[in-house]
Amino acid sequence: MSLPTTGPETLGGTSEETALVDPNSSTAKEISGKSPMRIALGRLLRDKIAVVCAIVAFIFVLIALFAGVISKVLGVSLETPFASSVLDMLNGGLPKEGPPLHGFDPDHPFGIAPRTGEDNLAYWLYGCRTSMIIAGSATLVAATVGIVIGLVAGFTGGLVDKILSFVTDLFLTIPFLLAALTLAPIISERFSTSPHYFTIQRWTLIGVLAGFGWMGVARLIRGEVLSLREREFVQAARVLGMPTRRILVKELLPNLAAPIVVSVSLMLPAFVALEAGLAFLGIGVTDGASWGRTIDLAVPYFDTYPLYLYEPMIGITLLVLSLNLLGDAIRDALDPKTRR
Amino acid sequence: MRRSKPLAAVATVAAMFALAACGGGGDDGDGNGGSGADRDFTETGAGDKDPEAQGPAPEVEGAQEGGTITVYLTSDPGPDSLDPTEGWSVTGNSIQQALTHRSLTQFMRNEDGDAILVPDLATDLGTPNEDYTEWTFTIKDDVTWETGDPITAEEVAFGITRSLDSETFPSGPGTEYSVHYFLDGDKYKGPYTDKGKSYDGVTFDEAARTVTIKMSTPFPDMDYWGSFMAMGPAPLGDTSNPPDYGKDPLTTGPYKIDSFRPQEELVLSRNDQWNPDSDPARHQYADGFVFKFNADQAQTDEIMLSGNAESQTAVSTGIGSDNYQQFDSELGDRLVQQGAQCISTLTPDYTKITDINVRKALAWAYPYEDIWLAGGEVPGVTRIPANSYMPPGMAGKKEYFADGEQFVFNPERSKELLAEAGYEPGEYEITMVYSEETLASAVQKQLVKGWEEGGFKVTGIPIAATESAYNIWLDPDNKINKKLNMRGVNWCSDWPSGSTMIPPLLKTGAVYNTALFSEADVDAEMDRIATIPLEEQADAWGALDEKIGTEYFPSIVTAFRNDLYAFGERVGSPAGLASIGAPYYQNLYVAAE
Repeated sequence: MSLPTTGPETLGGTSEETALVDPNSSTAKEISGKSPMRIALGRLLRDKIAVVCAIVAFIFVLIALFAGVISKVLGVSLETPFASSVLDMLNGGLPKEGPPLHGFDPDHPFGIAPRTGEDNLAYWLYGCRTSMIIAGSATLVAATVGIVIGLVAGFTGGLVDKILSFVTDLFLTIPFLLAALTLAPIISERFSTSPHYFTIQRWTLIGVLAGFGWMGVARLIRGEVLSLREREFVQAARVLGMPTRRILVKELLPNLAAPIVVSVSLMLPAFVALEAGLAFLGIGVTDGASWGRTIDLAVPYFDTYPLYLYEPMIGITLLVLSLNLLGDAIRDALDPKTRR
Repeated sequence: MRRSKPLAAVATVAAMFALAACGGGGDDGDGNGGSGADRDFTETGAGDKDPEAQGPAPEVEGAQEGGTITVYLTSDPGPDSLDPTEGWSVTGNSIQQALTHRSLTQFMRNEDGDAILVPDLATDLGTPNEDYTEWTFTIKDDVTWETGDPITAEEVAFGITRSLDSETFPSGPGTEYSVHYFLDGDKYKGPYTDKGKSYDGVTFDEAARTVTIKMSTPFPDMDYWGSFMAMGPAPLGDTSNPPDYGKDPLTTGPYKIDSFRPQEELVLSRNDQWNPDSDPARHQYADGFVFKFNADQAQTDEIMLSGNAESQTAVSTGIGSDNYQQFDSELGDRLVQQGAQCISTLTPDYTKITDINVRKALAWAYPYEDIWLAGGEVPGVTRIPANSYMPPGMAGKKEYFADGEQFVFNPERSKELLAEAGYEPGEYEITMVYSEETLASAVQKQLVKGWEEGGFKVTGIPIAATESAYNIWLDPDNKINKKLNMRGVNWCSDWPSGSTMIPPLLKTGAVYNTALFSEADVDAEMDRIATIPLEEQADAWGALDEKIGTEYFPSIVTAFRNDLYAFGERVGSPAGLASIGAPYYQNLYVAAE
């Protein structure tokens, strides 16, 4: 799967002009001593949308981290009750108390699920955690793999570059959804008797997302390295006899910070959406709380119990939107050519 | 015949109170069933026959010609092949036997809503010899293929012989009946596997237009078996070679096949060559039928409730429980509840769970109502509590209770029984599979909770939502199957007799005996019942049912199943056919606007 991680304009972040300041600007003197990253951060903080989005994303991170504590405080849990004790079986299995037919139920602030009677709030909180863990881990893995492959391919060149580029292109040709749909039953059959099936399922999901998400980063980094390695400071480091590892980590990597930050900040929301999408298709997390799975369960109730459907949708929309806008803002902040 | 969807429904059951509605045939005693209870409960008939019935079928009052009826088969993939010999599913057989494929005999719905057996291709219901080891059917003169060619006795004989080929048609009904009862059924492997060999079990006389079937054991139910489309004609020669014939078989009924896309759509149109005078039960009112397989439940519900032009000529074979109230108030008589002679069972492995008290404990710890709710069933309407293998309305059924009274969710009783068997709570482990499909997962959660409360430990092995659990249960070499000690089967009678319920599920070695139940005296009794006079058989089956239930209790019958059909505003004569548990397609017509 290819992810539209960054556009070519972000490349400016590491280009020669980065540190140059418009001499006609009134603030020219003041900022002259700042690093490109400081400038970008300053721009970001002045961007109101970026700040709001960062706060929203941060709240979601807190929810994910403290899902257990929050549900305990609110008195809700993932436990399945006996359906007939909380559901009205004469009304198509809708809850006896709370929405959609009755008023607010303080025991279950988000209401309870029809058919199963599970608490919506607990599932929402833990669903957020599932989303964050899977999207976060997948981003971490994909970014690491992409950076390493990009660096090695770009810097080494020659045969290694050809092989790594070929592998990257090969992965780009595999259609993501098709691969995920094929892999899910294979994994399920291979591990279904394992007691750790659901842990394996989560790791598989992270693997699938990361496995088809690193190519964009790898290509981007390789392109950057290709232009950087011929620059004077790299040549100088070579002449001085610096080991390759040190050149890669100390000389090249800092100069790649901007494209990496940008691609990561855009990869994260894409993975959140994908995780939910896969769960909706029944090939994601199947055992417990997942926003996508809740949406799948809630679709038949769009008419009779819309709140049930809206809750996870609002969760996903808010999180993905804020992360996306934040990513855009970071890209703009890192791009010296942007003029707002 | 088996139900195509095992998992979502295997565990689903209705609430206690509906027993009154079932036994009483209409009124709900305690009023607990909500509005579902005032709905007339169509009982399954007890197997009446009318050998004299002649075509044409009696006119339906107000029936009109023309129009196309769209049938939505919700969450039902339908048959993969239309070959009549292959068909052994409720969906496929109900459509083909009603509209496209004629056989020796057929079922017809009478004014009281009972299903009665009437002749079809044969002039009567067949003539058996004294001990039911030889049956002779005379084929009518005026019956034709869709091509206009007359159906010959040889073609009928060939069609019947095909049903012996269990290698070519492994999931066909012939594997159960033809192979077991027909002469040399165990030796002759059918016209495709044993190519060129001659077979003396089925003979024909073209001049007299008779087909004679010889049996190896007495088979008094041959006339019922004749109602399967597998007991109909097949064109001679290469035309009917499997598997290609299953894509577009030659039809004989009032409709022919326009197009067939498995798991998607079947389109039927009028067959001009069908002669109404030869057919005592079928009609040809609508111009055509469109069957939509695997229809989405929510979408179908929306269509049926919308009342728009599309919905007016539509039929749905299932409705979502969340919309039941709305359907009930808006459709009125057009929402038909049909008893289906079907049971849902859970089958503990008889070789692994050997203590009868443990099996009874499982039945007491099964949270019937909760599972039903989670599975999307309607209380007292689509599932009712069960007590025997034979469904309500089947002749000979006994009202017995395996453990003294009707099983309800009672975890305390379950723990008592477990203690009696010598197990601490949480010690006895149940291993079962469940589908990752959303409904089935919800059912599984309730089941686990109930059984754990009842003192069991449950290990669920998830299988992909797209896979059928039957693929695991029926495969003795499957490595998951070897680990299981709990399986299940949903079963419907093939005709109203205990012989189509008890032996297929409980005989040693039967394909769908997923409990692996095997007791010599039960097997012997089944063999004996097949040989006693026909009048005594029904009661004998009932007695055997009770004996198995009280003495061995090999499997838990969790529910008697019922269906709900929704008919569009302009679809005439909305009704169901009890013998197969499907809408009575034969009588449907489209009323003028």
